[in-house]
Amino acid sequence: MNTESVESLPESMTLWQDAWRRLRRRRLAMVCLAVVGLYTLAAMYGECVYWWYRLHDETPPYKRVNLAEQYQPPSFLRSPFGGRETGRMSSLERFLHGLKALGHHPLGTDGLGRDVLQRVIQGTRIAYQVGIVTSLIAIPIGVVLGCLAGYFGGRVDDFIVWLYSTFACIPGLLFILAIAMVVGKGLLGVYLGIGLTMWVGLCRLIRGEVIKHKERPYVTAARALGLGHFRIIFRHILPNVFHVVIVTFTLRFPYAIGTEVIMSFLGIGVQGEPSWGIMISNARLRLWHGVWWEMAAATAAIFGIVLAFNLLGDALRDALDPRLRTGR
Amino acid sequence: MWGYVVRRTLQMIPTVLGVILITFVLFNVVGGSPAAMTLGRHVSPRMLEEFDELRGFNKPLIFGWWTGTRAWDAAAFRRGGMHWPGAAAADGGGQRMAPGEYELRTAFELLPETVYRWDISFMEGGGAEVEFFCRGDVVPAGRTSEWRRVDGEWRRVLWRGGRSAGRAKVTVRVGAEPAGVLAGLRVRKASVMIRDIRLARRMEHPWDSQFIFYLRQLFPLELVHGAGGGWRLAWKGVDFGVSYATNQRVSRMLRDGIIPSLTLTVPIFFIGLMSGISLALVCAYFRDTWIDRFFVVFSVALMSINYLVWIVAGQYLLGYRLGWFPVWGYESWRYLLLPVLVGVISGLGVDIRFYRTIMLDEMYKDYVRTALAKGVGGAGILFRHVLKNAMIPVVTNTVIAIPFLYTGSLLLESFFGIPGLGYIGVNAVNSSDVDVLRAVVFIGAVLYVVANLLTDICYALVDPRVKIR
Repeated sequence: MNTESVESLPESMTLWQDAWRRLRRRRLAMVCLAVVGLYTLAAMYGECVYWWYRLHDETPPYKRVNLAEQYQPPSFLRSPFGGRETGRMSSLERFLHGLKALGHHPLGTDGLGRDVLQRVIQGTRIAYQVGIVTSLIAIPIGVVLGCLAGYFGGRVDDFIVWLYSTFACIPGLLFILAIAMVVGKGLLGVYLGIGLTMWVGLCRLIRGEVIKHKERPYVTAARALGLGHFRIIFRHILPNVFHVVIVTFTLRFPYAIGTEVIMSFLGIGVQGEPSWGIMISNARLRLWHGVWWEMAAATAAIFGIVLAFNLLGDALRDALDPRLRTGR
Repeated sequence: MWGYVVRRTLQMIPTVLGVILITFVLFNVVGGSPAAMTLGRHVSPRMLEEFDELRGFNKPLIFGWWTGTRAWDAAAFRRGGMHWPGAAAADGGGQRMAPGEYELRTAFELLPETVYRWDISFMEGGGAEVEFFCRGDVVPAGRTSEWRRVDGEWRRVLWRGGRSAGRAKVTVRVGAEPAGVLAGLRVRKASVMIRDIRLARRMEHPWDSQFIFYLRQLFPLELVHGAGGGWRLAWKGVDFGVSYATNQRVSRMLRDGIIPSLTLTVPIFFIGLMSGISLALVCAYFRDTWIDRFFVVFSVALMSINYLVWIVAGQYLLGYRLGWFPVWGYESWRYLLLPVLVGVISGLGVDIRFYRTIMLDEMYKDYVRTALAKGVGGAGILFRHVLKNAMIPVVTNTVIAIPFLYTGSLLLESFFGIPGLGYIGVNAVNSSDVDVLRAVVFIGAVLYVVANLLTDICYALVDPRVKIR
């Protein structure tokens, strides 16, 4: 053996390092990551605003009714740098005044004079809550059942396959609505409805992957060492199939958000908080009177995050699982 | 071939049973009786009981002799809401009852010829003696050795105050004419703390349960005594119960709803399939050019627009602003144009992406290279070789979309006013109409299972390799 050539080999990379290298090379994926980051910041800001006003026991600005400022269009359409009152100002003053006007209800107000931007940010908060909590429900169920089914096979596998195929054959949105109806209107219904139906796809994928990995030499080696079943599953196999979880999470997150919007729109979802679905539902009637900005803001917010997550999910899949390349 | 079909059909059974189980667990075990939710808060217990009786919600869940009844409000007793003179609510639930007579007045008359059980829990302490009495057409059931008959009423001593908490159960049979005040407690010597009083009804048969009630709705096979003597099996027609909101038979509502649903979803399905496959073929033909890339980005962008936005924007722009289509209703074929358009466009993104992946997977297979080497042109390869082989995954995807034919248009129907099953489903959710929703969910699931079966059989017909598995 020539030891020199071994030493001159490039440093080995873990799967995650390799994936990150691949991901970084794709500019679109990085843009999407940045967009997701922005939304995350907005959601965190919304959370802070929510708790601040809750702890101070005040009505938050996104709920404050101000009938004097009903139906104000977005600030950039209100010619902030012109207007009557700026007539005698110097140009610097006019500029500063314009900036101030631009910051005043930048996305306009709705029918009750509530700030649309603030409401969109609160919608982001709720969308993130829904995405995260439903994933926290669906991922553990899917991963545990998928691993057990794939690893043990036999009766366990039969039972779990039966369970998920039964879940899979119940019409999706209707099933979610039924769960939400039984649990009761509100966020809990949304969480449980989406979470308890979303695990099926993940479970199926994990089971397939685990079946493939079960016969690999490293698992045989672990078994020969006398390791327990659960240690083999969760310490040895699971890390090797975990990329499936990451990719599924990124692709399911926008799905959960979209479903929440539909449920809130139908009046079964979020109650009393400005979710995007509620915004669209309110704005729908006002659209007929030419008030388009509330609708546009909520729509654009949904579009942005769903698009970013979809593209990011594709890029992640390509980066993490070279066999599943869709881009070619 | 027939062996395969039979085997595959038998495999359907566990899934259908699973669907029955899941809908039962969801609506009966987790949900429980929706009576209070649908009827509102200020309704008499009798109406709630009647609601439950019609829908089987007043039976034991799966198996059992005893079931609750709304005739006695145990929660009101614990809160101290019985308004007895001499009794007062105690801290932590229950009532402290001074010596005297207390009538156990039920909210409505108990069922005739039925056995009921009072279940009374006492707190420890005191030297009180509690006696249960019943009059009129109420007589003791079960062991009668502890009962005495005095002054035209039956009496039984339940409790002589002791150091430990205790519980007594009294079983009584209500006769043919239940009327007036029938039972009560008599406290003597000292006051007593009663934690809880419950009333349960005994079923005539322990299998007379919610689960069996549900199964008999779905499989209404019954043994009937024939006219000429002897027994025969009779099929009484599937019965999903009665809708609360519309007071119609659910099976009739579903029958009326299926046609509007199909007129909406079948065009969406076929137009969507055709346009999806043709655009995917375009992508495959122009792969690695800007046309392909454009369609990839385009389809992801289409996917990212929420279904709602399509509906609202379509109604506003095409229906209201441009006035090309009617926005709401189901009167002629023109009312279907806009929902079909919205349905096709909203599904297009997913379809293009999916079919493009399939086509490209096929494009890189060996037989395509062979055909290219033989000199077959691009279009020839695409249509004669690739499209044919790509049909199997295409058919699979088509089957996944079958339940969509039935309920996928949930939103479209409810926002364009098309009286189909989706519309019925959304209305049922909004009015907590459990019977309707359960039926819609169940039929949707069964259709999916059947569609799956049909595809597998089609596979076996087309692809001889399938049968070997």
